[in-house]
Amino acid sequence: MSSEPIERRVSYLGDRLRASRCQSCGKEYFEVRDYCSNCGRKSYGKMDSDDLFYDKGKLELCTFVNEPTNKFVKLSSFVYGIVSFHGGKIRVPARLTDQLISDSKDVDLTSLEGREVVPRFRRRYSVGKNDVVPTISLAFTLADEYYPHQEYSVVAPSKEYEVPGVVGYGVYISKFRIKEAGLERAVPFIDEDSVTAAVEAGKLALIQSGVDSGLIGKIYVGSESNPYSVKPIASKVAQVLKLGEEDGDVQGVDAVDTEFACKAATSMFKDACSLVSYPRSGVKYAMAIGADNSQAAPKGCPGGELDTFVGYGGAAFIFGKNDVIAEVEGWYSCTSDTPDFWRRDGEPFPMHGGRFTGDPAYFKHIRKATCKIMERFKLKASDISYFVPHQPNPQFPVRIAKELGFRDEQCSPALMINKFGNTYSGCVPAGLASVLDIAKPEELILVGSYGSGAGSDAYLLRTTSQLADKQKRQRVNVKFQAENPFIEYVDYTTYRRLKLGM
Amino acid sequence: MENRPAVVAVGRTKFGEHYGKEPEKLIEEAWLVASNECGIERKDLEACYISDCFLPITNKLGLEEGFLSELTELHVPMETTRSSSAALSTACHAIQAGVYNTVLVGGIEKMTDRWDKIRDDLMLLEDPWSYYAGGTPESNHELLLRAYIKKHNIMGENLEKLNVALAQVSVKNHANATKNKYAQYQRAITINQVLDARKTAHKPLGLYDFAPISDGASALILTSEKAAKKLCDNPVYVLACASATDYLNYTAREDLSHFVAAEIAMKNATQMAKTALSEIHVIEVNDQSTMMELVSLEDLGFFEPGTAWKSIYESHLNGKNSYETKSGRLHVNTNGGLKADGNPFGATGGAQVFEVYRQLKGQAGERQIISIDNSSPKIGCVSEFEGFGTKAYVTILGEKKE
Repeated sequence: MSSEPIERRVSYLGDRLRASRCQSCGKEYFEVRDYCSNCGRKSYGKMDSDDLFYDKGKLELCTFVNEPTNKFVKLSSFVYGIVSFHGGKIRVPARLTDQLISDSKDVDLTSLEGREVVPRFRRRYSVGKNDVVPTISLAFTLADEYYPHQEYSVVAPSKEYEVPGVVGYGVYISKFRIKEAGLERAVPFIDEDSVTAAVEAGKLALIQSGVDSGLIGKIYVGSESNPYSVKPIASKVAQVLKLGEEDGDVQGVDAVDTEFACKAATSMFKDACSLVSYPRSGVKYAMAIGADNSQAAPKGCPGGELDTFVGYGGAAFIFGKNDVIAEVEGWYSCTSDTPDFWRRDGEPFPMHGGRFTGDPAYFKHIRKATCKIMERFKLKASDISYFVPHQPNPQFPVRIAKELGFRDEQCSPALMINKFGNTYSGCVPAGLASVLDIAKPEELILVGSYGSGAGSDAYLLRTTSQLADKQKRQRVNVKFQAENPFIEYVDYTTYRRLKLGM
Repeated sequence: MENRPAVVAVGRTKFGEHYGKEPEKLIEEAWLVASNECGIERKDLEACYISDCFLPITNKLGLEEGFLSELTELHVPMETTRSSSAALSTACHAIQAGVYNTVLVGGIEKMTDRWDKIRDDLMLLEDPWSYYAGGTPESNHELLLRAYIKKHNIMGENLEKLNVALAQVSVKNHANATKNKYAQYQRAITINQVLDARKTAHKPLGLYDFAPISDGASALILTSEKAAKKLCDNPVYVLACASATDYLNYTAREDLSHFVAAEIAMKNATQMAKTALSEIHVIEVNDQSTMMELVSLEDLGFFEPGTAWKSIYESHLNGKNSYETKSGRLHVNTNGGLKADGNPFGATGGAQVFEVYRQLKGQAGERQIISIDNSSPKIGCVSEFEGFGTKAYVTILGEKKE
């Protein structure tokens, strides 16, 4: 049973932690208020709306929950308490997330009180399979651990470019990992999914780019693990990140989900570029996100071979013509009807074509797209600084790079498969982000994405002098999340439990 | 005050798990006890006020008045409230206004029929945002304790004493319940049992710090002063009914270390009853948790904020079942409190009034409190909450002062 209007209102307030402030006396409220009780009638209509989404709070009081209510049972135990914002002007109930508590003896409640915390956008609690997936940002993590607090401030653009390109980007990878045979893979916490990863990645992209979220006119979210068959992730991202002009509780933005296995997001890069270039679109910026809680049947089951490689995470790219950090020089896409990997509607896990996923699928399409674009721009492998191939496993990207004539150092900076696993739609975008994190101005980057089914998009990007500036604006970059001292490793059983979610 | 309403009879069921009984059976049982006591028949009732907090959820009974009408075969006005104190208060107003002379104030709850979901229901109704963030019915009590410790800067040896004092609340309430045939848990417990349960859970409060969920019913027969005098020589008058309200969202309240609503309600009630704290020696407080008993005693004015634990700790050392307050000796929750007597929400307040009535009438048997002058107490007090300090009710009962 669900009650959608209530669900809508709770999400609307709770996802963004919307608040209000009285213009006259400064009193603050969690939730949206039309008037202040101090000032009464005269404050009606004079309340500023505010939110705590990019704020930092303080855990004032806490206790331990080890017998949760029914909807939280899958969390088994967690720290619960009260978080204050703005020096105590607003207090909200809070659950600490990203904590796997095996023995409650390890939790020292008093040492947690007084610590700074960051609100995180997560699933709220478990519901039935037919229900709306409830979300909330009353989940917090400690600010001095895996995920630090970062402010979001809008930066006025200083330069307009002829050619559209990447204006900013963000990659979100969860704190948990599984390590097997030298391969590390990202594991979602139990309250994470592709929706929460998409929002986190978009949030990080806004922080790094300094782009006014209100100027983003289009949002594409590519995923193959949307918890819904029908209902876009993009609408959630648009509402939570306040994309486009805000008018009441509706955002003036076009939001759409895309699907083409692992290239669902990269496909839209050119659409985003085209849209911001079309003189009458009125769209200054467009955001494309790839996010997946990459699905795989458990090891030992049909399709379980994938369970060695699947990861979790999301990457968001903002395209525009102002303060571009990597111009999109051109692209080439190709498609054929090749059934190498698929998931039928209603099935929880995908199937794959075994050896058929190699030569006739992955290699054929990436080879085609990348060779075509290199021909068009008359480039040799040695003219290109970095090559970013799709990474379904550790071997394929290395082989295609070698075949195309790329040296190890041109390709290895993009290889995140060994750290995060295959993040499906987020895979190539995260690889591109890890290259942009270290690239210098005026370097050429070749991207070769791949989506089963099958097709490939090759992009040629040229970095600009503004890249260095924006690299500095992002603390939570790819390396930060790949080498974070607070990463927590879990065993296979825990990994499966977390991956299946609440 | 003109025309003081009086309680002329009280009844209740045993609290606990009543698998085999419908809610109707429970209220009938409680009614019969009260009815037998004063000889009032159901056809004498001019109105019924019935309280239940969850019945529509736990037993899918929406129009409680309807089933009561069917049961009593009465067509008189009936109204539903969430707590016995609210029902009593509404009934008193009607009697004082001269609308009715004889009314029933019933309370009923059947929580164990839904034991697997009741904590979710409870928390969602009590404080939705806390529920959405993962709060449990217990967690806010623990945060209240943490806030109390922080505000009053209690640490070291004092903190240990506070923890023992909270355990003593539970031990004392269980000891009282051994003398109460209606109580859910008629067995004694030890300080160590309380402390060990906390240790096992690694939480500030443990299993023995919280009241259980219960089934049960209570019935009070309330009449006008004139009618009461015809029925008995010394009726127990309702000297005051006062209530106050606080925010639903606990975290949004200004002071998290106590319940301001209880403080306000008590202030208004003592004023209304023209009663001094020193006249009150018996009180039933809403110990949903041991912490709630402690903090209630401060909010009701018997102790300065941040100090009640000292006296409770003393009572543990002295092996006493009552507390020494700034206004004299105070007997708290002589029926075993919510902890041991049980806590069927809608009937809980009725059982509290039941106990104070018995004490004032000298009918409390083994539990009877004797004043210094060798008589039963003259004035008693009941404090009840709805939600987590969201609504506070204070009722003062006793002899009418001219």
